[in-house]
Amino acid sequence: MASFKINGEQVDVDVSPETPLLWVIREHLKLTGTKFGCGLAQCGACNVHLNGDVIYACVSPVSIVEGQEVTTIEGLSEDDDHPLQKAWIAEEVPQCGYCQSGQIMRAANLLENNSDPSREEIVAHMNTNLCRCGTYPRIVKAIQLAAKGEA
Amino acid sequence: MTTLHKSKSSEQTTTPALTRRDFLNRSAGVTFMIGAGGVISACSSEDAATSTAPPVVSSNSYTPNIWVTIFPDNTVEIKYSGTEMGQGSSTHTPMILAEYLDVDWQNVKVDTMTTHDQRYGNPFFQNNLYTAGSTMIMVFSEKMKVAGVQARKFLLYAVAEDWGVPVNELTTDLGVVSHAASARTISYGDIVATLSLPTEVAELEESDYIPAAEFRYIGKDLIRDDVADKSTGKAHYGMDVQVEGMSYAAVVRAPVEDETALSVDDAEALAVQGVTNIINMGHMIAIVGDSVEATKWGKAKLNISWSETSRFRQSESQATLEQYKKAATDLTISGPVWNETGDVKQALDSADQIVDALYTSEPVYHAQMEPLNATAHVADDGLSAEIWVGTQTQSLSVLGAAETLGTTIDKITLHPLTMGGGFGRRSTLHQQYIDDALLISRALKRPIKVIWSREDDMESGLFRTATAQYMRAGFDADGNLTAMHHRVSAPNNLPTMNPLRWADAAPKDVITMLGSESTTYDIPNHQAEHVVQEREARVCAWRGVGTSYTKFAVECFIDELAEHLELDPMEYRLQLCHNNSRMSNVLNELKAMSAWGEATVPEGRARGVAISGYSRSLSAGVVEISLEPSTGKITVHKVWAVGEAGLIVAPKNATAQLEGNIIFGLSSVLRERITIEAGVVQQANFNTYPILRMSEVPELDCKVLLTEHPSSGCGELGLAMIGPAIANALVDLTGKRIRHLPLTPEIVKAKLNA
Repeated sequence: MASFKINGEQVDVDVSPETPLLWVIREHLKLTGTKFGCGLAQCGACNVHLNGDVIYACVSPVSIVEGQEVTTIEGLSEDDDHPLQKAWIAEEVPQCGYCQSGQIMRAANLLENNSDPSREEIVAHMNTNLCRCGTYPRIVKAIQLAAKGEA
Repeated sequence: MTTLHKSKSSEQTTTPALTRRDFLNRSAGVTFMIGAGGVISACSSEDAATSTAPPVVSSNSYTPNIWVTIFPDNTVEIKYSGTEMGQGSSTHTPMILAEYLDVDWQNVKVDTMTTHDQRYGNPFFQNNLYTAGSTMIMVFSEKMKVAGVQARKFLLYAVAEDWGVPVNELTTDLGVVSHAASARTISYGDIVATLSLPTEVAELEESDYIPAAEFRYIGKDLIRDDVADKSTGKAHYGMDVQVEGMSYAAVVRAPVEDETALSVDDAEALAVQGVTNIINMGHMIAIVGDSVEATKWGKAKLNISWSETSRFRQSESQATLEQYKKAATDLTISGPVWNETGDVKQALDSADQIVDALYTSEPVYHAQMEPLNATAHVADDGLSAEIWVGTQTQSLSVLGAAETLGTTIDKITLHPLTMGGGFGRRSTLHQQYIDDALLISRALKRPIKVIWSREDDMESGLFRTATAQYMRAGFDADGNLTAMHHRVSAPNNLPTMNPLRWADAAPKDVITMLGSESTTYDIPNHQAEHVVQEREARVCAWRGVGTSYTKFAVECFIDELAEHLELDPMEYRLQLCHNNSRMSNVLNELKAMSAWGEATVPEGRARGVAISGYSRSLSAGVVEISLEPSTGKITVHKVWAVGEAGLIVAPKNATAQLEGNIIFGLSSVLRERITIEAGVVQQANFNTYPILRMSEVPELDCKVLLTEHPSSGCGELGLAMIGPAIANALVDLTGKRIRHLPLTPEIVKAKLNA
């Protein structure tokens, strides 16, 4: 049994402690916004927040979040109106969209710690996350837009 | 509001206002219409006919043609026969109909089709529902336009007849018909709810078409419908499917094609809590359980012996490449001619000088971000099924599934879902992951969700084939290019991708050969020849299909010819396409943007140029690179790119496609390489098959020209020019030409030191 908070809600899930958090989130709790991309912490599609830090849910056993607070894309904002989400839409960032939950969660962590990142800081922070469609330039623009509070 | 007596009974299907036969008779030949750019263009009667079935009137809706249905509440449902993988056509294709019907996009519901129906099919793909080749806007824009105009005209006639006013005094504005002289208005919904339809409508005329100056949607950059859900985690992919009572399945596929599991030691796997079944299907082993993690843990504990008898056991990447090279340069071996102008043999025989070069390319992997998966529920009798999957083709998914189950397509219910990337990977007749789900579900009589791991996805990948390409050019005594012979030594793709299409297309394999025709250049004698090779790996269409290597050979070769003639490569290209005004415009724009030949290139850097294009779309690019000689690492600092795809429905999205293509192409050129040893793919995940990351993306200056040519596609525009542009720049930088893809650091270092 794993017990933790997800998006503000206490949950108890009947899984073994070594179960990757990703599958607990996606298949046991049916929060499918967090994606499976590689299973090796190589692509970032599974990025979620643990107490505000970014983690790779695909390689994190659920035991490490015991009693902690996890946030997924579904819990990032009340009404899907996080400045990054508004900027993502304004810049029309997503193409296939599959990596974008992870990208947004990663970017949200950046803005939490640095409200006005330079282009270099954005690229260095986001370099962990793969996008096969090549939306990288628009991700940078959207983060800049969100940081400026103009989305 | 005028109250009118509705002349039809509630369940009646009225006599069509215009029968299909009437329409065909009247519109035999061509129907003239105003093109989107205001130019009169001819639309084939086939285009008109496919959007003109008899109107269907029911108690609560009106279907003026097969593409659109209007409801009393002003909702408009528009059919979309493609699928969405991020290219945007699920918004932009139906939006063209909405434009010409003149309705509020907020009231439009896009109805993605779910089954095979040739009336809605893509003529580029045997009238199958098939989203590939950047064809959606190109193929369907004319159909959408005709369907929208025609539907609007039916509505206007209904009002004109009822109100007793001339139809040409009526106007429309976002789903409302007005008659200014009598100050009357009626919504489309109310027309459907209250008016009877006219019995006859005149043929479509120029004046029926909303002029380009009044467009609300085309060229206006409305945000795509799928963007918001993809920014909030709400988009629904195949991976996200949940079906009542389903079990999960992991699979182990034969590491070498065509092999069979001889024995499976599954005792330890079955002991894993949550694992319920292990099934040996021969070509793969299914591990079924009540959670994803159980299936993965069970999979790790299997011990399998494979047959080891497949001919693919002999497959070695380097040997394959050597074999393809040998055949490419052996002129005694001939093959199917893909494209021909003039007499290349005679022209080369009589040439004053001949230049030749041999190029090679290695396999690459699709790497769509969503690992392949499918969910299926086969009925207990094994003869009908429901399938949930991200697919590029409703038709082939249904046809393939029916074949697998030995049933008919009407027994297959498909739910085509948005794709986490396609790039050609999901375009085959038999999609392995669908077949996996069907076979396991049939065996266990319950819904099964099959999830491939990234390793399954890569190791069982269908790759862009390895190629060798031998180029020969002939010049006359004055240095004029008189002939070019482009020999592509590579296997066929279509026989394994889609035998139904191959039956029609053979021996011409568009997937292998596209781009080798080089029709943008004015070369009097040209032949593109396919030197057909044995297939040594699984192969499939990969974004841009053949162009990503054929354009590499052509565009590197053009630079070699320019060098031979001591001409600037940009000027030589302009000279060779002086008869092609569209390509000339693209090149001249690129030349200006990049200040080619005028800008000072920083020390240690060099520039290269190449053109590509895809289908009817054109593109060209300039790259600026530097090289770290100690490692062979190429850095691309800047890319200038120009695309031209006719009338653009959504310019911002088109530019995003061009950018994405360039990054996709760049990734394949600088990083990606699949190698095969003893038939086994040597890469398994993104640590051994790295794709481009954000820090490696150059500054991009991309421009899509806005023209009035017929619309074509942007989904593969620009990808193919990146490789040759980099290779050409490398010659400028180092004096050495590398005639090979990819240009990974180790390959560049080895070739430069060779």
